[in-house]
Amino acid sequence: MHCDINDYKGNTVLSLSGEVDMHSSPMLREKLLSLIKNKPPLLIVNFRDVSYIDSSGIATFVEGLKHVKAYKGRLQFSELPQSIMDIFSFSKLDKVFEICGNLDDAVGR
Amino acid sequence: MKTAVTLKVRSNPRYLSLIRDVTTRFCMSCGLDEELTGQIKLAVDEACSNVIKYAYHGDTSKVIVVKYGSSHKKISITIDDSGEKADPEKIRGRDLDDVRPGGLGLHFIRRVFDLVEFDTGKLKGNRLLLMKQTGGNNAL
Repeated sequence: MHCDINDYKGNTVLSLSGEVDMHSSPMLREKLLSLIKNKPPLLIVNFRDVSYIDSSGIATFVEGLKHVKAYKGRLQFSELPQSIMDIFSFSKLDKVFEICGNLDDAVGR
Repeated sequence: MKTAVTLKVRSNPRYLSLIRDVTTRFCMSCGLDEELTGQIKLAVDEACSNVIKYAYHGDTSKVIVVKYGSSHKKISITIDDSGEKADPEKIRGRDLDDVRPGGLGLHFIRRVFDLVEFDTGKLKGNRLLLMKQTGGNNAL
């Protein structure tokens, strides 16, 4: 897994690529929580190049969402591949996370 | 059912990707479609992650053995470890409506496999038996 942190129209975007699993999720957690520490009003996670996610990756985002909600911020997901979307849907987490089409959809909400 | 493939790896999370690759190749060789292959890959990955977390408590020096077999209309996968015995009575995933970190792995395993059970005859460690009816002739 690889993480890139960018700015898109004034918002922080965490772009992920590769596989998010038990091996890589500790690194994801570290990056995500360090971004959340700055309390961005909107934090976007771009999944466009993510090929796989397991329950440890999902747990990392559930934890992140709780932190973001605590300061009334927003955590949005963009560009989820269908295989990743299926996992969120099965877990009923598609109703919990804000899931957008692309980055413009995310910043436009 | 004869074992077609045996994979023996260290209980290090870095090797989970290797288990996923072999699981994917095995499913493809059995003629399973992409969706089912993806679900089985995730389930086996979750089962092996559980071995590392709960049977070996994060000890990366132990061994996980994954065996793959197929026969007419079904495939089977067994996962062996030599760690702490699992108590099947205590293993249950969280309610999917109860949103909190963790507790999803078992749901991913049960979603796809028709049989998910521990071999109670194994004296030391655990043997998880996973079986899926596939409807096609998957014999290798």
